[in-house]
Amino acid sequence: MKRSPEAKRLEEILRCSRIVAGGFMGEDPRPHEEIIEADGAALARLGVTARQLAVRMREMTEYGMAGLGTPVRFEERWEVVVDENRGETVCPWPHEGRYQKTVTTVRRIDTGETARWSALSVHFVEAHGFFQGRGSPFRLEPEDLARFLMAA
Amino acid sequence: MGATVFSVFVISAIGAALATVLVIAERYITNYGECAVIINDDKTLQVQGGSSLLETLTQQKIFIPSACGGRGSCGYCKVKVVGGAGPLLPTEEPYLSEEERAAGMRLSCQVKVRNDVRIEIPEELLSIQQYECVCVDIRDLTYDIKRFRFELKEPDRMRFVPGQYVQVFTPAYEGSDEEVYRAYSISSNTTDEGFIELIVRLVPNGICTTYLFEHLKAGDPVKINGPYGHFRLQDTDAPIIFIAGGSGMAPINCMLHQLANSGSERQATYYFGVNTPKDLFFVEEMKAFEARLPHFRFVPVLAMPDEDSGWEGETGLVTEALDRNLDRAESYEAYLCGSPGMINATVAVLQGHGVQVENIFYDKFS
Repeated sequence: MKRSPEAKRLEEILRCSRIVAGGFMGEDPRPHEEIIEADGAALARLGVTARQLAVRMREMTEYGMAGLGTPVRFEERWEVVVDENRGETVCPWPHEGRYQKTVTTVRRIDTGETARWSALSVHFVEAHGFFQGRGSPFRLEPEDLARFLMAA
Repeated sequence: MGATVFSVFVISAIGAALATVLVIAERYITNYGECAVIINDDKTLQVQGGSSLLETLTQQKIFIPSACGGRGSCGYCKVKVVGGAGPLLPTEEPYLSEEERAAGMRLSCQVKVRNDVRIEIPEELLSIQQYECVCVDIRDLTYDIKRFRFELKEPDRMRFVPGQYVQVFTPAYEGSDEEVYRAYSISSNTTDEGFIELIVRLVPNGICTTYLFEHLKAGDPVKINGPYGHFRLQDTDAPIIFIAGGSGMAPINCMLHQLANSGSERQATYYFGVNTPKDLFFVEEMKAFEARLPHFRFVPVLAMPDEDSGWEGETGLVTEALDRNLDRAESYEAYLCGSPGMINATVAVLQGHGVQVENIFYDKFS
């Protein structure tokens, strides 16, 4: 695959610890473009878009913020806790934007399943279709996430 | 076909070689000579050109807050450049709003000093110092909050105002190849000369907190700079409401020391919000303040007390406890430290009880 200098630089930033400890790629050897493509294809098979997931994730986070770090019941099926930490992060893609260091943990009350994401994760999913590399602490498996969030 | 591929290869090789030569020339051959950095139209530094503005100022012992160590990834090292910086670089654009660009703000880590440069920085930054320290004690306060005690070595004293913060340098370590700075409020007593203490909560994947929690040991060297910030007690007799959660305890603890040191008789109530009993800490320290300060009351608030814990204190969100307990409070001052969500919710409650917005002071975690 032929890559532009910008794409190479982006790949380097995603793999290093410049923004978060351990970077965003985990042990995934695939280039970020390939990860995005594969995750996008997985979502397409389910008939869901990354943007739809991001909208749902943001909705849960914003609702959970009212709990000031305590669990909040969301639509009777989920329990949301939003931890806000000091500072902001930036997106490695070259555009304006800063993201508070919040971590949202959502638990399905009926099954006990959980999912966790940061404010930057939501932006990654929405703007770049990027669910992070396998082994990254904030990697979201798109199919699992879709089933988790879109449960009726 | 073969000739075409060969031609492309040759042209690419020549291009790469020229780029390499330019980089080497820029680094080793180009000599920008002596340049002047004029600060606030008042102070002139004669410096060797060629380094970034951030690095140049750091070499002159002027510390601009920067979280990423000058790599252009945090956007914190903004400085107003009045002249001499050249055009805005693509690497700066993501970090500067339209208003900031119009005002001449630049990322000092990206601006290279190639000629005389005129800048404007807040006066207080001129007194920031770097401190070489040794970590002398690490204490678990909860499962995810620790207190770090540093002995100042060089310089061996720091003058700070309770409420201010320092930046802790994080070296590269296993799992992180980046050197960064992160800000933490000082929690210790100003009379504890030669030492400072910080209260830090572990951030998942946080570069600095992972280092502090998993790699730093007692006896290790630590580098900090500071003090920074304008969060501080006002010199009045107004009754005080403190509100904090988690590691937001740090600056409030420092302010309580200040009140105790001065024998203050100000009325003060401290609402400290946590989730469960295992998140609660510094209870004994707060009791000690209650004994020393005649009009001080500590009100821990548990959002989720265990049913069998026998907890008889305040419950619910810290904002709810505040709302229940506060009457009209037009004459009060409020000091807050916590997450942006907590601050926003608390400010609304305080204003609902008549606290004037100009009397609400906070250290927002952002």
